This record gives sequence, structure tokens and C-alpha cells, in this order.
Amino acid sequence: MTQDGDGLRDSSMEGSELHRRLTAIWSTPSGLWGALSTVDHKIIGRRYVTTAFVFLALGGVLSLLIRLQLAQPEARFIGPDRYNQIFTMHGTNMMFLFAVPVMQAMAIYLVPLMVGTRNIAFPRLNAFSYWVYLAGGLLLWIAFAVDTGPDVGWFAYVPLAGPEYGAGKRADIWAQMITFTEVSALAVAVEIVVTVFKQRAPGMSLDRIPLFVWSMLVTSFLVIMAMPAIMVASSSLILDRLVGTHFFNPAEGGDVLLWQHLFWFFGHPEVYIIFLPAVGMVSTIVATFTRRPVFGYLGMVMALIATGVLAFGLWVHHMFVAGLPRLGESFFTASSMAIAVPAGLQIFCWLATMWAGRPVFKTPFLFVIGFMVIFVIGGLTGVMVASVPFDTQVHDTYFVVAHFHYVLVGGAVFPLLGAVYYWFPKFTGRMMSETLGRWIFGLIFTGFNLTFFPMHILGLQGMPRRIYTYQPEMPWSGLNLFISLSAVILALGFLLFFVDAIRSARSGSLAPANPWGARTLEWATSSPPPPYNFARLPVVDRLDPLSDDIEAVPVASGLRVDRRELLTSSVVHASPEAREASPGDSIWPLWAALASTLMLIWSIFSPWAVVWGSIPLAITLIGWFWPKGVPEDEA
Amino acid sequence: MAEKVSSSSKAVFALAGVLFLAASGAILGWFRQPRELRLDPPLSANLDRIKLMPNGISGSPPESYFAIGKPYESDAWNLSQGKRLYAWFGCGSCHGDGRGGVGPSFLDGWWLYGPEMVSIVASIRDGRPHGMPAFRDRMTSEQIWQLAGYVQTIGSYKPKVAAPSRNDDRQTRPAENRGPAKILFDEGPAGVHPDQGPTP
Repeated sequence: MTQDGDGLRDSSMEGSELHRRLTAIWSTPSGLWGALSTVDHKIIGRRYVTTAFVFLALGGVLSLLIRLQLAQPEARFIGPDRYNQIFTMHGTNMMFLFAVPVMQAMAIYLVPLMVGTRNIAFPRLNAFSYWVYLAGGLLLWIAFAVDTGPDVGWFAYVPLAGPEYGAGKRADIWAQMITFTEVSALAVAVEIVVTVFKQRAPGMSLDRIPLFVWSMLVTSFLVIMAMPAIMVASSSLILDRLVGTHFFNPAEGGDVLLWQHLFWFFGHPEVYIIFLPAVGMVSTIVATFTRRPVFGYLGMVMALIATGVLAFGLWVHHMFVAGLPRLGESFFTASSMAIAVPAGLQIFCWLATMWAGRPVFKTPFLFVIGFMVIFVIGGLTGVMVASVPFDTQVHDTYFVVAHFHYVLVGGAVFPLLGAVYYWFPKFTGRMMSETLGRWIFGLIFTGFNLTFFPMHILGLQGMPRRIYTYQPEMPWSGLNLFISLSAVILALGFLLFFVDAIRSARSGSLAPANPWGARTLEWATSSPPPPYNFARLPVVDRLDPLSDDIEAVPVASGLRVDRRELLTSSVVHASPEAREASPGDSIWPLWAALASTLMLIWSIFSPWAVVWGSIPLAITLIGWFWPKGVPEDEA
Repeated sequence: MAEKVSSSSKAVFALAGVLFLAASGAILGWFRQPRELRLDPPLSANLDRIKLMPNGISGSPPESYFAIGKPYESDAWNLSQGKRLYAWFGCGSCHGDGRGGVGPSFLDGWWLYGPEMVSIVASIRDGRPHGMPAFRDRMTSEQIWQLAGYVQTIGSYKPKVAAPSRNDDRQTRPAENRGPAKILFDEGPAGVHPDQGPTP
């Protein structure tokens, strides 16, 4: 692909001329139409992150309602029916609308920058995935607003969620919302895999990929392998409910345990889909704030991959009380404990990095330290519940609630908040407040531990999960009141975080290109990056390509500036292979997402929706892929 | 420049989003009533005041039934409760899965006393000649209405939107949301014309 003479190249172009031409070809046009049809990974990534944080706030409000109701015995703020919806919404929202999408959103924004390319692979699919995700979120929340929120728990076990006991459309809303978020998650996963494999900057061989990118690559493979299980599960559930199939009906040869297996075959890797990106974030932040590369790069990458593989071998530990053969119990106990090995390896690598480095205790680093403390506690209780006799005692009690909040909030939300503080200057061009950041960390760390640690004790005292109230005779009221009060501290921390984020986005101090002195490629361009990311694509010759002088990064030239063009490179060595066109803006992804939305929601009510709904979907896809009358690679 | 563009388009975005949310909420809220797990006792007592024609067939439900939006015919929760009551009170021992047995069928296209809710409620509450017992003293008025709504659903010629789905039992006929009686109402050249069931 070196034939010359086609189009205008950047080889002999001056900086300002290059900037003008690249901006003209890469920027998103202004106005509503431009906003709706953009395929810029940075704009879509920002939208994704913002939307996910809106869902985080909404889910947080739900958790406060739960705590209000549980603050005292026999409280009457929320009735049992509404309470069922609230805890289901809280879990569903946090897992499917916040945790997974926000991690992928960070990757949508950061991975192309970190591997030194100009846009994500399949950018229109990226736009499509956002609209589908938004539609799924709206479906769930609008349904909740009109008293049709799912009320069967976030894992919607049959037969409770099945046709006999799940009255109305509540469980259907849950199942179809799953379809929305899984479609969008799968789309993003494919984009990230292709971006990482084929669009890395020249010279970024496999052993020079930043750890965050590695973690997102492994995560994306987890998504690709885990999500189909839940799509099969939720589709079978809808079929059972709508057209009377018998997948989960034991009387007709179906199996209710099939649901649990399908769900947790997705549901356990899901935990690592949320946690592995956080590992990448932590590695990045640790390296920057200790002023040295992460100790044991190879070990870290291997631990990521090992975690990814093991993640598929322990789903049954969610089903220890469902009745299993003894051998199965032992196997899944062993594999559950085995996953502590790669996790421990990672923790020790970070500790070694800190030990050998010169830590600078800025807000992002504080969140990383908070993560380590909380995640280690969560990991320890994880090893405890991996043992069958112990799990049998605490199954479905608040001990489990405490455990998974320690793992998920400690393992994902703390790194994420650190990451937001860390990358905020790159996203917006402005710094977040360091003073407020320290307060926020203090409030959230204190509030979190005060809120969730006592839940271990409540669980050991026998308080079950998902109860909407409890009797005054139970010895739980004191701790519950304490937890509810502590939740206020936690909520205050998050409120302050949102205030700081909004305030900083408007009027924070302007950020330089590389405010933290980081060593990864996203800091090699301005903050926020121009629409074309890099004026000239960087060339990578070592693991940490940035030195103190950003201008010193070697660059490649020879790309065309009269069309959207980027470099594809080989998988292992990232030697440049071809100049490839990158698709331009298009409104069709939005229409396709609307057509999918129509079909998916309609199919809750009638199976014929799949037939008639596929017509508008086909029309939009034909429009999307309509030949443009130019050679294919002109896109 | 980029800043300006994104802030103005963001505002439009936000506005469009809010409008969309409000509109969808309003549309859904309009035809959607919240799940009523337990009716107010005065309302439920009032449900008893149905006015029957002298022959015990058809009549008019109490005003309160319209005031609460006729939930027993169209509300998924009440219909599914009705389905459970059908099993719990042993309706199947005479009426089978709805296709009858000792008692008449609900989905053969014939309603001995008409398909109106009041008739079915009266049948369940007061009993009918030839073996239908009165459930007046065994069920609450609300339960009787729920069960009546479900019985009406079994035989409706077009499946109701909120009709319950199959149970986790052996399948003997299509579930209510698949319209088990639909075929009986086909007008086609060779429709099904079953003989009328037992007469009262």
C-alpha cells in the first residue's frame, strides 16, 4: 500500500497547515445533526462516561432509599412491592448500566489515544452502541417510573422471573434491557479488540502495550465470550414468558438450574469485566505517581490473562446452595480460591512498584490506595465464601452484600474515581480540584467502610438480603441505623464528587498536555485532544514512549490529509501494514439504533415484532451500508 | 471553537432528551395504572354491589369498578392472581384446564350466562344450578373479581395484552396469552363449530 500520487500527503506539510487540513477532515460539524451523526470516539466516549455517571447517581439515590427504609425496624417509607423493584433496579442499573458501560466508555475514549491512532475501529458501530445503550437505560428507568420496574432481583432467577410467578411485563423489561446493554457491550468489545490488534502505533509491539490497553483487551475477550450466554438466557426467558416455550419448565423437560448456569456463566466473568479495566487504571495511575514503570510488566499481563481464563471456571460458586455434586463443589471451591493467585500477584506488583518508586500522593493515587485496602478486604471475604460450608451459612445474607460491595466498589469504583481525576484533564482540558479531591476521597473512603463493614456483622447475625423490613425483636436495628447514617457520609462524598466534576468541567484551571508527567501516549497530544488525536502518528520504541519533552516522540508521516486515514499494523510487532480509511460521520447508526429499539421493545408484547420490526431495521442497515460509489477503502 | 459547538449542541441534546423522557413517561403513564396489591376495604366491599338482571345473566357492575379503571379484566397482576386462585380453589377439578370436564368449558365459544364480568362474578359468588357451588364464603370479593377476570381471559377470542402466560406445568393447551380459544372464532370457510356444552 505505498502507491503514490493518490491524494494529498502530510509529509511536507507545516504544522499549522497540517492542523487546518486535519481539522477540516476529522472534526464533527456543529449543531444537532452533527452531534447525532458524529463517529468521533472522544465525543462518543465522553457521552458514554457522562451517561454512565448519571446512571450511577440514579442508582445511588435508590440505595439511599433502601437505607432509609432499613434504618429502623418495621419502617413504612416503602412498601414491599416497591422495595422489590428498588433493589432490583439498584443492582441491574449498577451492573448493566453503570459498571460495564463506564469501563468500556473509558476504553472508547482512551484506547485509541493510548495506542496512538486517530479513531476507534468501526466508529459507526461505536455510535450505534451508544444509542442502543442509551435506549436500554431509558427503557429500564421509564419502566420503573411507571411502576413496571423489574422486581425479581438483578439475576432474575426462574421460576420467580418465569411466566408463572413474574406477573406483568416487569421481568420482560429486565430481560430486554439486558439485550440492549449486551448488544452495545459486544459492539464495543469488538471495536476494542480490533483497535488494539490492528491499529497500534508503529513499533508498539505486544510487549510495549500499556497495561490499561492490555486490561481492556482481555476484558473485551471476556465480554465476547461471556455475553452470549446471557443473551441466550434472556432470550429464552422472554420466549418462555411470551410464546410459552419450556426452556425453564421442569414439567416439560426444561430446567430451572439451566437459568442459573447460563446467568452465572456470564455473571461471574462479569465481575472481572468490571474489575480488569480497574486493574489497568490502577497500573497506569501507580506508574505515573510513583515515577517508575510498573514492577513486573510481564507478570501483570500474565495475571490479567490468567484472571480472564480462570473467570470462566468458577461461576458455580454462586450456586453452592442450589444442590451440586460433591466433586463439583470441591472443584469450584478450588478454582475460586485459585483466582486469588493472579489477584495477589497484581497487588504485590503494585506494592513493589510503590516500594521502589517515589510516590506522589495526589488524589488519583489516594483512590488507588483506597482501592488496595478495600479490595484486599473484599478479596479475603471472597476466599471465605469460596468455601462451601461457610457459604452455606452466609448465603443470601448481608455478609454477601458486604462482600460484593467491597469487591465491586473497592475493586472498580475507587479505581474509576481515581481514573476520572487522573484523565479528567485529558477529557476536558481542565484540572479537577486537588483540595476537594482529598475531601472527596476521605468522605468516600470513610463513608464506604462505615457503611459496608457492619454489613459483615449483620450477615453473620443472620440478616437476609432483599428484605424490605425486619421486626424490632431482631438484634439488627442498631447496626442498620448506623449503616444508614454512614451511607449519608458516603453519599455526601459522591455529591461532592459530582459537584467538583461539573464545576471543574466549566471553570477548572486549564490543563497542560501532560499535567502528571505520565509516560503513555494519550498525554502526547493536547488536552483535550484535537479531533484527529495526533497531528502525526507517533512511533513507539519502548514501553513508556513519552519522555519529559513531548515534542521528542518520533512520528510517522506520509498519511493522506484529504480523507480520514489511519495506519493499520501487524498484530505482534505492530509494523505498519497499510494506510486505511476511517469512516466518516453518519446518521444511520442512530436510525439503526432506533429501529432496533422499536423491535426489541415491541417484542416484549408480540412475537410478530421480530418479523415486522426487522423491516425498518433492514432498511436502516441498508442505508448504513449503501455503497457510496467510491472504491471501498475510500469509505 | 470546538468548545462552543459542543456546549450549544449539548444544550439541544439535553433539551431533546428531557422532552423525550417526559413524553414517553406521559404516554406510558397514561395507559398504565400502578399495581394495587390490596384494594381499599371500602372499595372492595363496594365491589359486591353488582346489579344482575332478573334471570341472573348480565347486569351492571358497581360504579366503583369503573372508578378504579376496570382492573380485573385488563391488569396483568390481577389476571395472574386469578390464575393462581383458579388452581388454589380447585376450579380445575370440574372445569379442567378451561376446556371443561364435569363442568362446562370456558373456551369452547359458548358462555352459558354470557361473557360479562358481572355474570361470571355472580356465577362464582352465588353458584349456579347443576353443580356450580357458591364461593361467597370462601373467597373475598376482590379474589372473586380476580378469578372472574381470569376465567373471562381463558375464553376471550383475542388474547388480552395482559393475559398470563404458561405455568410451570405440563402443557395441555396454549397459555392464555396465546389465545387458546382464538381458533373457535375464525370466520374462515371452514371454521370450527363445536357443539354447545351442557345446558344449565
